Amino acid sequence: MITIKAPKDFCAGLSFILISGVFLYVAQDYPRGSALQMGPAYFPTTLAGLLFLIGCVVLLRSLVIAGERVGALAKREMVLILGALVVFGALINTAGLIVSCAALLVIGSLASGEFRWREVAVFIVALTTAAILIFYYALGLPFKLGPWS
Amino acid sequence: MMDATLLDNLLLGLSTAVSLSNLFYAFAGCLLGTLIGVLPGLGPLATIAILLPITFNLDPTSALIMLAGIYYGAQYGGSTTSILMNLPGESSSVVTCLDGYQMARQGRAGPALAIAALGSFFAGCVGTLIIALFGPPLAEIALKFQAPENFSLMVMGLVMAVVLAHGDLLKTIAMVLIGLLFGLVGTDVNSGAERFTLGVPQLVDGIEMVGVALGLFGISEIINNLHIKEQREALDRKITHFMPTREDMRRSWKPVLRGTAIGSVFGILPGSHAIISSFASYTVEKRLSKHPEKFGTGMIEGVAGPEAANNAAAQTYFIPMLTLGIPTGAVMALMLGAMTMQGIVPGPQVMSQKPELFWGLIVSMWIGNAMLVVLNLPLVGIWVKLLTIPYRLLFPAILLFACIGSYSANNSAVDIYLCALFGLMGYLFIKFGCELAPLLLGFVLGPMMEENLRRALFISEGDPSVLIQRPISASMLAISAAALVLVVLPAVRRKRSEVLVASD
Repeated sequence: MITIKAPKDFCAGLSFILISGVFLYVAQDYPRGSALQMGPAYFPTTLAGLLFLIGCVVLLRSLVIAGERVGALAKREMVLILGALVVFGALINTAGLIVSCAALLVIGSLASGEFRWREVAVFIVALTTAAILIFYYALGLPFKLGPWS
Repeated sequence: MMDATLLDNLLLGLSTAVSLSNLFYAFAGCLLGTLIGVLPGLGPLATIAILLPITFNLDPTSALIMLAGIYYGAQYGGSTTSILMNLPGESSSVVTCLDGYQMARQGRAGPALAIAALGSFFAGCVGTLIIALFGPPLAEIALKFQAPENFSLMVMGLVMAVVLAHGDLLKTIAMVLIGLLFGLVGTDVNSGAERFTLGVPQLVDGIEMVGVALGLFGISEIINNLHIKEQREALDRKITHFMPTREDMRRSWKPVLRGTAIGSVFGILPGSHAIISSFASYTVEKRLSKHPEKFGTGMIEGVAGPEAANNAAAQTYFIPMLTLGIPTGAVMALMLGAMTMQGIVPGPQVMSQKPELFWGLIVSMWIGNAMLVVLNLPLVGIWVKLLTIPYRLLFPAILLFACIGSYSANNSAVDIYLCALFGLMGYLFIKFGCELAPLLLGFVLGPMMEENLRRALFISEGDPSVLIQRPISASMLAISAAALVLVVLPAVRRKRSEVLVASD
């Protein structure tokens, strides 16, 4: 029976193998070339290969040498904060800065676990105004402000 | 003649740095740096990353002056909260908590803050002078480097960063490799082939560094901070007198000198230099003291030395980036990115081609250090008040600026998604006990390393031994190998974890 003795290392090793796997998989279509004429795949494949090896060692080590536990993941915070970013990204080019700021702040504030409507409303007004003044007017960045513009 | 040119150069720097706009940006940087140094949960890394896109519109010199100010300003600000609240605003101020907070509890917060500020100011000045003195000769040597030397130099930089990092050796190397790999995403400069873009047109020019840095150091921090419920306790005591007694001064000047020397040396080395240098200084002072048992009960030596050390290190930290074009830490990786975005090719030639940038930055650091003393001592009451702002009111602003920051780099939503992706990756890797700074280092160095390796192998007709046949390149690789071997040795390994973990 195999037991995981070092959960942190186990997860780390697994992630290394996963990431190296993605790079190796995508790079297999690229020409490798030779040392004299390094092709597009030469350097990345070498790096990913090395990463794969390290991943395996770290993974195997976690089965032998005891180590720390991973600890509770902040699932709620993770989903809400990353979700807020994705929503902001999806809205910024269509609905514009004002709408996406409001959406980001509402979803993001939920993550703190102490959601207060009045506070969030103040935030939306204050921060959106600040963002428009700084980025749109002062720095002249080409933002779409609202769905109308 | 050396001295005359140095003087000329410093005068050129002075004339650049005291222009009204550059004084303003130095001040803005220092103010912002102090602010985020005081506020736990927002570090110089995230702040610099957020401001990077804004600096596109600035003149390159002003941009670097402000970004540098944020970094060394944060080192000052961090000590304030360490002393008053036992709360290191910056990781490098952890050591200052040990004796600084005890002094504050005994009602001697004023002298502790004053010694910390004065020691930091002295160390900052010396550090700046060291850059001015040693920068030009180093750049002179580096100008003679060719592809093999450049490649080996980057290997050495990365290996040293790995060796001197906190975490597990293997995991840290893996993080560097991951960074290098992500750095290669985009068009291969040599063949023109698109690599790892997965058909996303926005990735053809590579992954934008701003999004990566904001995700790794901004977003993942927010997730982490929200999960750990905050506990803050402000010291509700009026700080009345700042003047250190004559006895304080007598006990402090030697630790400040030693701390400055230690910090200057450690600052040049890659890795967690600021933490290591303040910890090393603390250890030295404790060893040299006649009363080592009293350390931890409010010894002023334990504040003076480490504070000087981490500020000296904060200055000499710039040397490899400015003279060799090699970042030795995450903050310098961002500074390097800022230069590249401004169309400046980082490297030893910056000093000769853009002398006003190099010398202007150095003189502005000195001016900035003076500004910081003024900002920190009389205004300490305001900084303490700021600490009572709960994190739940703080993080939405960070979140919003991170979003706009990553968006405005290319005006594309893809960068926001990448920021989210790296935020997720950063958070998970923290949880798995992996360090993030090496990833960013690798990310910045990836394309440069590949290009130099390619050129090196091309001139040697595909023979990799070119890297060990050229003496400078060979010695740099030998140093890297020796450092790696040394760390694996059991005795050194134990000492390393003792130092690096204890400073956590």
